[in-house]
Amino acid sequence: MRIEKCYFCSTNVYPGHGSAFVRNDAKVFRFCTSKCHKNFKMKRNPRKVRWTKAFRKAAGKEMTIDSTIDFEKRRNVPVRYDRDLVQTTIKAMKRVGEIKSRRERAFFKNRMAVSREKQRAHRRKTMEAAKSSSVKLHEPMAVESPVSSKVQEKIKVPTKTRSALVQGEGRSMGMEID
Amino acid sequence: MGRLRRSRAHHARRDVHRASRTRVRGRDLDMIQLIDLDPKNRAALEAQALDFEKPGLAQHYCVECAKYCETDAALQAHWRSKVHKRRCKALKEPAYTIEEAERSAGLGREGKRPTPLAVASVPMDGMVS
Repeated sequence: MRIEKCYFCSTNVYPGHGSAFVRNDAKVFRFCTSKCHKNFKMKRNPRKVRWTKAFRKAAGKEMTIDSTIDFEKRRNVPVRYDRDLVQTTIKAMKRVGEIKSRRERAFFKNRMAVSREKQRAHRRKTMEAAKSSSVKLHEPMAVESPVSSKVQEKIKVPTKTRSALVQGEGRSMGMEID
Repeated sequence: MGRLRRSRAHHARRDVHRASRTRVRGRDLDMIQLIDLDPKNRAALEAQALDFEKPGLAQHYCVECAKYCETDAALQAHWRSKVHKRRCKALKEPAYTIEEAERSAGLGREGKRPTPLAVASVPMDGMVS
């Protein structure tokens, strides 16, 4: 079983999934989804489409030079099945994956720190530009209206105590006697 | 009876769709860059034998755009055009290939040393934010 990579977005293409286009010079282009195929038919350059892996790598958004990336390779040499070899390989894969994810997180943190600094500087610059410009901001004037100036007083309204014990209030069950 | 079929069933896009089918796909940028622009191949393409099937009997061919022109004047005009200049600019940067797709997915080749992405060295105007 061979897991191919999508030509456009570089994701995995598992057997039985996606589609392939064979160009007339026998090059096989694999696509994970119809979205990628359509983009290919539109002759877009994956390096210039922001959601592809190629763009992210080319624009420095992801780790490109790292020893953990070099483990996955297309090896065209058949290897005889060996129980111990498979075991050690699987163990190594897990360990390499662990290290890779940790390094990726570190890379991301580093990248974000730089960009945050940049954004802050940009904000400060725009703030100063707004301050130094001739445009002056006035506070909105408070509109005095006669209605709002009146302070409403609270008046106690004597309420009749309604009791079920007192007859003739409409609440008791007793018969009304006139 | 007149025509019963409703008109405008294809959103006026029929010819665009037909042109974008893979079976009529012309030469790709990587084919042109890696094969056609080689001086030997270029000379062969520019001096083609008379072909009655091709436009202008295959005598006026633009290698960069993989396009046959009817006359020499048309070819000269094409070379001066914006379309041709844009194509030449696109051909200057390294073409995107299947190998690059695999490399950006982290899939290397055995026997070859993993080369850093060819793109990294080429400055892309307006793309890096």
